[in-house]
Amino acid sequence: MNVYPEIASRVDNAFSPKGWRVEPGTARRGGARCNFSERILTVPLDDSAASRVVRAHELVHFRISPASHEEGRLPFDVDLRAMECAEEFRTNAVVARLGFDVSALVDGSERRSGEMLAEAGDWAEAVRFLFAVLGTGGEKPYLLGIKAHRSEWLAPLRDLAKQAKAMVARVSLGSLGDTSRDAEGQQLGYSRVTIPIARMITGAAQASAPSTADEVRRFRRSLQAGGRRAATGHFAPLVIAESSPSSATSSKVGLVRWQPRPSGRYLRYPQRLLTDPQQRGFGHKRRAQGGVVLIDQSGSMDISVEQISSLLRRAPAALILGYSHRPGDVGVTPNAWVLADRRRVVESPPHGNVGNGVDGPALEWAISQRQKGEPLIWVTDGQVTDAHDHPCDSLSVRCALLVRRERIQLVRSLDQVGECLRGRRWPLGDFGRVGRKLLEMT
Amino acid sequence: MEMYDDVGECWKDLADALSAGADRILLYGPPGTGKTYAALHMGVRHGYAERLVCTEDLTSAEITGSWMPVGSGRWEWLEGPAIRAWRGVTGHRLVVDEVDRASGDALSTLLLVTDSSDSARWRSPETGEWVAPAPDFSVVMTTNAEEMTYVPEALRDRFPVAIRIDRPHPAALMRLSEDLRAPALYGSVGDGRRLSLRSFYAFDQLRSTLGSERAAAILFGVRDGQSILDSLRIGHLG
Repeated sequence: MNVYPEIASRVDNAFSPKGWRVEPGTARRGGARCNFSERILTVPLDDSAASRVVRAHELVHFRISPASHEEGRLPFDVDLRAMECAEEFRTNAVVARLGFDVSALVDGSERRSGEMLAEAGDWAEAVRFLFAVLGTGGEKPYLLGIKAHRSEWLAPLRDLAKQAKAMVARVSLGSLGDTSRDAEGQQLGYSRVTIPIARMITGAAQASAPSTADEVRRFRRSLQAGGRRAATGHFAPLVIAESSPSSATSSKVGLVRWQPRPSGRYLRYPQRLLTDPQQRGFGHKRRAQGGVVLIDQSGSMDISVEQISSLLRRAPAALILGYSHRPGDVGVTPNAWVLADRRRVVESPPHGNVGNGVDGPALEWAISQRQKGEPLIWVTDGQVTDAHDHPCDSLSVRCALLVRRERIQLVRSLDQVGECLRGRRWPLGDFGRVGRKLLEMT
Repeated sequence: MEMYDDVGECWKDLADALSAGADRILLYGPPGTGKTYAALHMGVRHGYAERLVCTEDLTSAEITGSWMPVGSGRWEWLEGPAIRAWRGVTGHRLVVDEVDRASGDALSTLLLVTDSSDSARWRSPETGEWVAPAPDFSVVMTTNAEEMTYVPEALRDRFPVAIRIDRPHPAALMRLSEDLRAPALYGSVGDGRRLSLRSFYAFDQLRSTLGSERAAAILFGVRDGQSILDSLRIGHLG
């Protein structure tokens, strides 16, 4: 049998006289694909109903899918795998609306896949895989496989399925497969359907697996339009901005300082022998004070260059890291940035990204950068949140343990760092959840 | 249908070459893209073009002319299409189709009739008259062969303008129903399974009375017909 991808013309693309190569594949999962870069369509070529609908599935990909998800420029709160699964779902929805028998899209592996994911406790992949089979003959056996080992996952997965199907049902077939482009050059069907669904998948996959009735209710609420993303119970990965501090601080502020002393080897301040009651005419070399300062820049906390410079006058060799995570971001937006690195300062400190999200990884990074004997100061309000910016008890405990073990000093504002270096301490009760955990530990 | 406004580089090249006065043009490339149609019509200002379809059996007589019985035991000299085109009896264009299939005998005559107007001369065996191509005589040769090795170098040399036609002409597409234009344009490529414009014309005609499934089955067979209809259905999306 011949397959004619060119006839399912991609009218959004310029005509190319180079044809596609069709290679024999299978109707099994992974046995068919549409390779845009090599222009190869791999599909089963037999007469079975399953093969016909698999061919239709790949041809719909050919017709409506972006050549690559990078081309579609991943949004900050969508991961690549979620995007792929969302596109599978949109494609299957189009195939079904075109009248092909999507119940034949099943290869017998779905139930086992559900069982394996549930057995492994891999909630994130369970969510993603659901969308790869949603609306096809594979959906039911997959959910049965999940139910066999994690029956508590069934309700939230069904909620997700219901929500996604409702989203697609509201869109006409023409809009589902619309390949005309918006002002940003993205295909409309992709940007209006695939991306919102991928966003939903990513949020749900990152969330903690809901198990209690209350958690399921909260999870369900998170799926509603405008609903807050569900709690994840884990930090986001730390992404440090690539740009580094470029401008040096004043030359008067050096790494080595002279201190007047009444005795010594170098008569550095002879005038003091006359003017200083203690006659401190000798100079004593003293290494400038350093240390690591970690600044929680969540909320509305803005930092000025003057504040950083002021701090560097007291501790010229300090390393200063600011952090704040954009809730839901999957690693696209940097959530930490070096504000000062041993006498070099950023020209313009970045603003925060609203949430905390990376308190633990930022503390661990700061600890790894601290040199022997240096102080480590954490500018914080004591609130610790997860990747979706939900306050989290277990993550607060994790940070409190680090604070205690590493003797990290807590201050509430950047202006207090100087006093902290001079030895002042503030009551732990001033530091929210982390402070309370520290108090509990003592 | 903005997509058809973009005629494609090959057709622009042909139009530009003709309007600039090129009078020896070779068109080559996959079949069913409208090379012959273009050769017969583009740049033909009056009358119509004379056409030669080369085969292994084509003889020199079928190119320049031959004595033919005209009844009552009489024979009459009938000039062939090349000389008629030279003279401009019907028009001044000679179209030589499928030139890669021409026999050795025909090729030597083709060398003569396609030579530059300054050099080409032919003597009528009937009157002894020397005939030369008219000043506005032109020849367009077509072939489906991608490799020009099938065309003798001397003949190839007479056609300095060689254009590969890789897609149907927009005007030819416009003769199809609107829903078949894009599939016909994109379906004209694809190694080993391309569908020529003629297939689409036939499908367009048959489906209007027989319905799409029957028309596809008759033209392409049941299995390929279904495959083509599936592709068309998906192609019509959006």
